[in-house]
Amino acid sequence: MQRWWYIVAALMIALAGVFAQTAPTIGLRSNTPTVHAFINARIIVAPGKTIPNGILVIRHGVIEAVGENVIIPADARVWDLKGLSLYPGLIEMVSDIGMPKPPQQQGAGGGLGGAQQQRQEPQKGAAHWNAKVLANVAAANEFQPDAKAAEKLRSQGFTLAVATPQRGVFRGTSAVVNLGDGSATDLLVKPFAAHHIALEATGGFLSGYPNSLMGTIALIRQTWYDADWYRKAHEAYNKKPAGQKRPETNASLAVLADALALKQPVMIKATDELNFLRAAKIGKEFGLNLWIFGSGQEYQRLDAIKATNVPVILPLNFPDAPSVDTPEEALNVTLEELRHWDAAPENPGRLHKAGVQIALTSAELKDAGSFRAQVRKAIERGLNADAALAAVTTTPASWLGLSARYGTLEAGKVANFVVTDGDLFVEKTNVREVWIDGKQYEVKVPPTDARGTWEMTISADPDQRGTLTLKGEVERPTGNVTWREKELRLNNVTYAAGRLSFTINTDTIGWKGTMILSGMVSANEIHGVGERPDGAPFTWLASRREPAKAEPDTTKPKEPEMASLPDVFPPGEYGRPRLPAQPQNVLVRNATIWTQGPQGKLEGTDMLVTRGKIARIGKNLTAPADAVIIDATGKHVTPGLIDAHSHTAVSASVNEGGQAITAEVRIADVLDPDDIWIYRQLAGGTTAANILHGSANPIGGQNAVVKWRWGALPDELLIAGAPPGVKFALGENVKQSHFNPGGQPSTRYPRTRMGVEQIIRDRFKAALDYERDWKEWERDKTRIPPRRDLELDAIVEMLKGTRLIHSHCYRQDEILMLIRVAEEFGIKIATFQHVLEGYKVAEAITKHGAGASTFSDWWSFKIEAYDAILGNGPLMHRQGVLVSYNSDNSQLATRMNWEASKAAKFGLSEEEALNFVTLNPAKQLGIADKVGSLEVGKDADFVIWSGNPLSTFSKCEQTWVDGRKYFDVMEDAQMREQIQNERSTLIQKIHTSKRTSSGHQQAGGGAPRFRRPNEISLRSCMEGMYDEHE
Amino acid sequence: MNTNKLFRFVCGWSLLVVFFVFPATASDYHPAPKQKNPIALVGGTIHTVSGAVISGGTIIFDKGKITAIGVGISIPPGTEQIDVRGKHIYPGLIDASSNLGLLEVGLGAPGTVDAAEVGTINPNVRAEVAVNPESEQIPVARSGGVLIVATSPGGGLISGLAAAMMMEGWTWEEMTLQSGVGLIVNWPSMVFSPSPFSQQTRENFLENRENNLKAIRNAFTDARAYWTAKKAEGQKGIPYHHTDPKWEAMIPVLEGKIPVFVNANEVTQIQAAMQWAEEEKVRMVLVGGRDAWRVKDQLLAKKVPVIFTDVQNAPARRWEDYDLVFKTPALLQSAGIQFCITGDRSGSNARNLPHHAANAVAYGLPQDEALKSITLYPAQILGIADRVGSLEVGKDATLLITDGDILQITTNVEQAFVLGKKVDMRDKHKSLYNKYKEKYRQLSGE
Repeated sequence: MQRWWYIVAALMIALAGVFAQTAPTIGLRSNTPTVHAFINARIIVAPGKTIPNGILVIRHGVIEAVGENVIIPADARVWDLKGLSLYPGLIEMVSDIGMPKPPQQQGAGGGLGGAQQQRQEPQKGAAHWNAKVLANVAAANEFQPDAKAAEKLRSQGFTLAVATPQRGVFRGTSAVVNLGDGSATDLLVKPFAAHHIALEATGGFLSGYPNSLMGTIALIRQTWYDADWYRKAHEAYNKKPAGQKRPETNASLAVLADALALKQPVMIKATDELNFLRAAKIGKEFGLNLWIFGSGQEYQRLDAIKATNVPVILPLNFPDAPSVDTPEEALNVTLEELRHWDAAPENPGRLHKAGVQIALTSAELKDAGSFRAQVRKAIERGLNADAALAAVTTTPASWLGLSARYGTLEAGKVANFVVTDGDLFVEKTNVREVWIDGKQYEVKVPPTDARGTWEMTISADPDQRGTLTLKGEVERPTGNVTWREKELRLNNVTYAAGRLSFTINTDTIGWKGTMILSGMVSANEIHGVGERPDGAPFTWLASRREPAKAEPDTTKPKEPEMASLPDVFPPGEYGRPRLPAQPQNVLVRNATIWTQGPQGKLEGTDMLVTRGKIARIGKNLTAPADAVIIDATGKHVTPGLIDAHSHTAVSASVNEGGQAITAEVRIADVLDPDDIWIYRQLAGGTTAANILHGSANPIGGQNAVVKWRWGALPDELLIAGAPPGVKFALGENVKQSHFNPGGQPSTRYPRTRMGVEQIIRDRFKAALDYERDWKEWERDKTRIPPRRDLELDAIVEMLKGTRLIHSHCYRQDEILMLIRVAEEFGIKIATFQHVLEGYKVAEAITKHGAGASTFSDWWSFKIEAYDAILGNGPLMHRQGVLVSYNSDNSQLATRMNWEASKAAKFGLSEEEALNFVTLNPAKQLGIADKVGSLEVGKDADFVIWSGNPLSTFSKCEQTWVDGRKYFDVMEDAQMREQIQNERSTLIQKIHTSKRTSSGHQQAGGGAPRFRRPNEISLRSCMEGMYDEHE
Repeated sequence: MNTNKLFRFVCGWSLLVVFFVFPATASDYHPAPKQKNPIALVGGTIHTVSGAVISGGTIIFDKGKITAIGVGISIPPGTEQIDVRGKHIYPGLIDASSNLGLLEVGLGAPGTVDAAEVGTINPNVRAEVAVNPESEQIPVARSGGVLIVATSPGGGLISGLAAAMMMEGWTWEEMTLQSGVGLIVNWPSMVFSPSPFSQQTRENFLENRENNLKAIRNAFTDARAYWTAKKAEGQKGIPYHHTDPKWEAMIPVLEGKIPVFVNANEVTQIQAAMQWAEEEKVRMVLVGGRDAWRVKDQLLAKKVPVIFTDVQNAPARRWEDYDLVFKTPALLQSAGIQFCITGDRSGSNARNLPHHAANAVAYGLPQDEALKSITLYPAQILGIADRVGSLEVGKDATLLITDGDILQITTNVEQAFVLGKKVDMRDKHKSLYNKYKEKYRQLSGE
């Protein structure tokens, strides 16, 4: 039966070029028959549908028949596949095969680190203005056959792959290719598969716009709008060119316009579960036919991901175990990492069980050759085996619109299949060969099994009979020869190309020295030659006496160990199985209540909370029967503290520095609800924050006003009804005084405070012009519509007063400048942020009606902060400015009450001082109708303090948001214990798994992830200041 | 130097001159004259720190030294009496780790930055000679009650010598209470932690670590060899040995006269540094000490004091207790480890020193210990407790009058004395505050 393997080489040569139908024949034609019948095979026709002993007939690369009782055509070559299985060829949904390699990327997060930054090559043709929009790049045009990569994929049973462009944000379109040999004309099965987008900051800080995740999302959003506009503009122009400005020709937008109009598939690469949700939102906003190329972390937000109803392609790069070999390394491992290591292999199974449509990919594996092993791991950890097969056969075929031709072994389909010697996803099973378009590709042909006992005759010693015994592994046998009653060990054994060779020491049987032997192995005979120690040649023959006995498998079947810990939100430290409950009624009894409202500070008073709202405040309130009662005797209760300037809970960079005006960029797009600082800030009584874009730009991104609902989804942090806002910035940062890429001053406009004024003014004017353009178009809609510009949309909102301007500033000149510009446009600045010289122009700020959100006392960290004074807040307050103290620093935001007490040094009353971190920031953010004071009807966001909140000796004991207890010192103590237990459980599990396996480095596993680079750095001293006081 | 080089040299320096930014205001407040006559502060609550709190007490000082403390003590004739009833008297607060005077404006004014010398081994540079008496941070620190600051250089592996500076005086010489209070050593990081922002591999890291550890060890063994050579040079047949400024500066450290202040936070750094200090037979003080509580038994056994830096800081690890840093001083104190508390090292924030100690009180440190941790304990660790750190007869009259508990943020420092000199309590912040109060007075038409 093995002989037919030797035909393979000749067959392959014969078939080469069979598809190059338009190419001229070079030399002689080749017409080797292409009709094959595979008999006695176990045929997996489709996932869940198996013929135990069947026949498959293919003709000219197409399946002609399949079944148990198929008549073998007379012209067929017959292949006996006894003991072997046939599977449909696997389909790889994401591959870089044949694609130009992307330039080297900088580290995640788009940080400043690293000397080499990606510079974009200028594009040819009608390219998009942004070098990261490469939607017109077509894999079909770029594809170059890559025999090595194809062979690697075939080794796992893949027969088709989606070749996917690798560069940019909009990466272009993919193509489906065969994984066989031949030219691109032979291999391209479908020139268009999907459009591709990568939701990640690419190229590093100096690579231009965008260089942040939120900038990337803004660019994606704007580009879809542009694509839509592009189609409409050209339609309008083509109908009536006369008198209209010709719209631009843009290859990328043209392609994307089709994607929208024809609902073509769009695949977005989402590098973690939060990016998944972000990608799904983009898909929904533009009605995209969306697929998501996932991260393997989807299980962490399973319900939310299921709710998006988006099909997902899952990588199998389960992380390696974090290093816990030494106590100091173990200390630095987070529970989040440990939990992910433990649970990641269950991602495919859990998603499938939840009803998410999944495909599996070998992309992201260090070695694509470990794909089947990783699938096996996923199956061991709960993925249904049929579902696993479907996820690489029928599912991708159906998504790609190729179900009629690929995905199953049914008559009429393309003859793409896999020959294995066992279950495809079982350890030890070999993929022996892969057939693509009816053409055979050898993968791994095991040699004849020579193991067993053989009777030997040797011409050099014709009277004696020897016994040759071979055992061990098929390809690396060991054994001995018994000859003249002596047992001689085989040395230097090799077994290759059908030839077995070995040496034996023959001292004990009469020939002093080493005898060398080799011979060709067939099923029942070995014909060999040899040389005696004295140089005399001889021949030998071995006849099989008995085959190798199946060695009993002593290894116990591996009991798959499932994830040890139940899911929590966020998925790690201080996570909970669900959000804290909202009791129907909560009664806080006998506290000193700082209402920060008209009632003032009340001693010995009760507060009743009903369904998350404050219901009553007064003495001796009666508790409803079901009320949760908190005895707060001796305690102080204040509203939850509000931080009017925060950068907590932002994924990756807080600055989109690629352009000076980035009003289209949205912090809400990149909220990270798992930032541990949320929990730590709750532990300090902070319940709400104004999350701002950084200060790199005169007009920066849009803000997000949030509550610290620890454990919630990103969008659930947002305070419903909070007026939207935007970050402005003035002074040193926007003129890039401290930013000298390559030792040269930045050339970005503006470089002076004069230019800052001009660029803001110009954008305001541009927004007015834009509004006018729209009104004009409303009058005659047959004309080319104005292009929807998300940046100008946001600025229009500012000019209408519906989007609050929060402007970073230091010096009095720039503060006054912005007031005057705003007044000229008839608008009001909502808050000046930092505003360290606000005390110098307090009357102007008051008259303008802006708020001031300042540091309590930071100064001297840069030259524009040199005149900052401790009395800034109080002095502005006395001049009638609405003042708040902010943090701009995640740690500082854990102790805002003490910041407020600094105002009390200047003779402000305690309540006035506390207003700096409660009611005043609430007013500045336009949320004082909901939070900021304890008044009937407002949200039950409150803090219970051990004593006077302005005393340094007091600490926060409980923090409530929406009538839910998000922090409690008692519960925290329990959680610490639980964290210790969970950490030790998982660290022990790593040690155990290392003892029982060769190592904890998993084949093809992924590197540990840095989910939150921002958290790693200890924010201290001056370094921190430069980073944070932007 | 060829012309080209000279040209570049001149251009380089002229560029520096162009970018040099002089502090914006020259202050009208000034150092005080020497104490002329005895002064008695009468009727206040005296926090002696070393002894009991004395209510309604009197403290008398003359010629810069405390001469008497007690209740109802007799006041010598010619004594200036100040009624401090309802007020509190404290010894001047001591910040044991700061860059005050060496770094005025971090960004945008490189000319005001003298924080780190070139190279990695600089044991000979002395902080006090570069402390700018005009620094606006000095009067601001005094307003926060901080009257003594151990200023130190940073950077490299051996940064130089710290000096205990008084926050009062016309010159740095006058301000210097004690030079060479410690030699700053920055312990290399010991545990590789992969970072998405760094291309560094584990191999690079280990190589760097090895090189840095070697450099520290070599500096000490070379200095010891130098010391041996210098000691021997008078002997018969032994030639004169040429001076080496670096190793010369380290002799007092090898003699045990000056401790090494080792900056280390992570547990393996701390243990490596302790072992090294023992092998080198040098006196070690741990600065930083984030993980110090994890090895408190060893710190106690080896009698290594801790200058615990920046209580108002973040836990280093995601899973750690949210209040871990806040409660670390209490953990060190209850273990019996000699410790003190400092701020975040930035001179501009030096005035917040008491807030750091107070923060530790909220998380378990007894109040009296918190006060000691910013007065007596830093004095002891810096080796200046014979002069300052507590209110005792014979010690410097370097003290504060406040309107309340110094550990409360709401408390104001009303008056400070340094060596009995009545400090001008104005500072840049108060001056600007008053200047703009005047603006608003004018605007309101008063």
